Order: sequence, then C-alpha cells, then structure tokens
Amino acid sequence: MLKPTQPAVDCVDKIIPLEFQTGWYDAGVEVMGKHLSGLVLIKNMPDSSIRVVFTNEAGVKFFDFEFKADNTFRVHQVIEQLNRKSVIATLQKDFELILGIPFRTHGIGSFMNDDELFFGAVEKDQTAYFITTKDCASLRRLEWRAGGKRMVTARIVEGSYPSPEQLAITHHTFAMQLTLKRIPKE
Amino acid sequence: MCKKVLIMRLVSVVVLMVGAIAGHGQYVGYKPVANLPVFRNQFAEESAKVMSIASDFTQEKILVALTEKITSQGKFWYKRSNKVRIEYQKPFSYLMVINADKMSVKDDQKESHVNVKSNKLFQQINRIMIDCVQGTIFESADFTSRAFENDKRYLLEMTPVSKTLKSFFQTIVLVVDKRDYAVVSIEMNEPGGDKTTMTFDNKVLNGNVPEQLFNL
Repeated sequence: MLKPTQPAVDCVDKIIPLEFQTGWYDAGVEVMGKHLSGLVLIKNMPDSSIRVVFTNEAGVKFFDFEFKADNTFRVHQVIEQLNRKSVIATLQKDFELILGIPFRTHGIGSFMNDDELFFGAVEKDQTAYFITTKDCASLRRLEWRAGGKRMVTARIVEGSYPSPEQLAITHHTFAMQLTLKRIPKE
Repeated sequence: MCKKVLIMRLVSVVVLMVGAIAGHGQYVGYKPVANLPVFRNQFAEESAKVMSIASDFTQEKILVALTEKITSQGKFWYKRSNKVRIEYQKPFSYLMVINADKMSVKDDQKESHVNVKSNKLFQQINRIMIDCVQGTIFESADFTSRAFENDKRYLLEMTPVSKTLKSFFQTIVLVVDKRDYAVVSIEMNEPGGDKTTMTFDNKVLNGNVPEQLFNL
C-alpha cells in the first residue's frame, strides 16, 4: 500500500527519467506463449520527438512509431499483422513508460512504502510511477498502475538512465514480456 | 502472430538471397542486357552448377528518414537443392535454418520451428527463394524482372507482383559476378525508402558444406 509523503523535490530532480539516449537494442518479445525477436531503434530527433522502430534481424520493419514533442503519438508504419488498435496501444504505453513521457507534463505526486519512494503522474485511468530506493540512490523501475494494481513494470536490469544496458518490461494482466539489450555502438 | 512473423523472416531470407540495388529505371554503370532470352538460359545453366555456397556476409540496414544505420555480420551457407543457413554473429546472435519444408529460427532466448507446408504464403516464399538460388527466378510468377550488365557483373532487378510482397519490398535486386555467377551484393528496397544491403565476401562455391549445418 502506497502512502502519500512529502514531495521530495531533490530526489525527483535527480532521478526523473526524462531522457533516453539514442541507441539500438536487441529485442525479444514473449506474448501469449509466442516468441519473436528483432532490433529496436530508439532515436531522439532534432525536433525533440522520439522515434521507435522495430525491425527483424534481416531488416524487415515491423513498426515505426513517433512520440512527438507535444506528447501526441503517430504511427508512421505498422505491418498488417500488428495493425490492431489494442496491440498499438499496448506498445505505445510500454514505450511511453520507458521514455518517461508521462512525467513530462503531469504533476508528480510522492508516495512511499516500506523501502521505496514512488513518484507518480496520473494519465487518464492509470498512473505512471518511477520508483527509487528510499535513499534515492538510483532508479529501480517504472510502472503503470491502475487502482493500486500493477499493470506494467519496466525493470532496469543493467546500467542506468539515460542509457540503460538492459530493460525488461512485464505485463501483469496478460502474458507479455519485452526485453531490450543495448547493442554496442559501431 | 508467431507464424506471420516467421513468414516475414522467410521473406527477408528471400530478399537477402536475391539481393538488390535500388533504382527506378537506371543503374549507373550498367546497360540493359542485350539478349535477354540467351542471358536467362545462361543464368539458369550456370546457377545449376552451384551445388553449395559458403560465405561471410555483411548486412547494412539504413533508415533513410532517421539517418540511422546498423551493420551486422555473419556466415551464410547454401546446399542444393533446398537447404539454407544464415547465422548472424555480430553485434547480435541470430540463426535461421531452412531445410526443405521446415524452418527454424533461434535467437539468444528461444528456438522456434515451423512447417513451411502449413501455410500457402510460406510455400510461395519458399519457392521464390529456391528459384533465386537455383537461377530459375526469371520463370517466377511472383516477380517481373529486368536485367542489366557491365563488364564484370550482371544486375537483376525484381519487382514483386503480389500485394503482400509489394507491402514489404519495392524492388529486390541481385548483383551477380560474371565469372562464376555468384552473388556479390544484395539490396532490398522498401516502399518507404529504407533499404537493407547484404554483401558477400570470402565465397567458396561447391566446397564441402556439412549436412549437420542444416539440422533442425
């Protein structure tokens, strides 16, 4: 159970994951017992938008999403097999979370449990949290929650923001996990 | 979704095996092949002599609008008449094996198998792939094709006919060495302008390619 606490402005300023460094990631997706893999490019564009492109290893593009600076979202391309409203909405929310987009404009509330600090931004019927150790030493994970229930958790498995080496995104309401491992720059 | 994604991977294999150099109409340094029927026969005859291929490859994926590219390297094997192994080794590991009607893919997390026969599109793509390797692609109803040449190379431009293949590729172009009819480089052109190029190095034609490489 999360308890409201005094705003920890210093901690928010230190930890808030507003930046994500451009990079290629080796990606694996487990969804409803099926597995697929590919490469994900997360790229900061000169106009302050962020593009997320998923291709297979041989180069065929699965989707190309744009998260605009004004917080709108655009699908540049998606293959027919993934072109479902629910699939796109799920992927959009997953990437919004790890890109820290909900924390850009919404007021951030401070909460705590026994050993962690939670900083939440309400977006419609869900709240996006970034979660730190109590001493605000590091960002542990990010979460989407609804009514106190975890919907999605993004763990920083290795490295740290703005350039995490490995992320694992787990959905708690259906069987889906996405892992991203940063590919070393050429 | 898994089967459809595997189909796309198979499409990619076709692309990589056919090879391409982008363009509409003109290819710098090339002129149209003067006698196309003769070339088609010759291409089929010479390709038929290739029983196996072992090669290194370098693949470059370019996202034009994003001014981004990623380069990967690996090894490629082919054995007549319908066995292919593509092994990406750097900067990620990924293995694709095709053996007759069966196909498997393996990344660093999981291995998946599929029976190509279970899906019409799979069968179509499998057929195209084999046509490419065996030099009978000109007879394929899946593409319209044009051929160009210079002193050292042939350039074959394939344009997909079906809506499904068109959604993936604008053109697929194969560059072939005139000396041995081996693939020199590949470029796959997507409708949006992005492209994937595969270049083959250290090719060994008709060498010993162990059967175990194609075990599924």
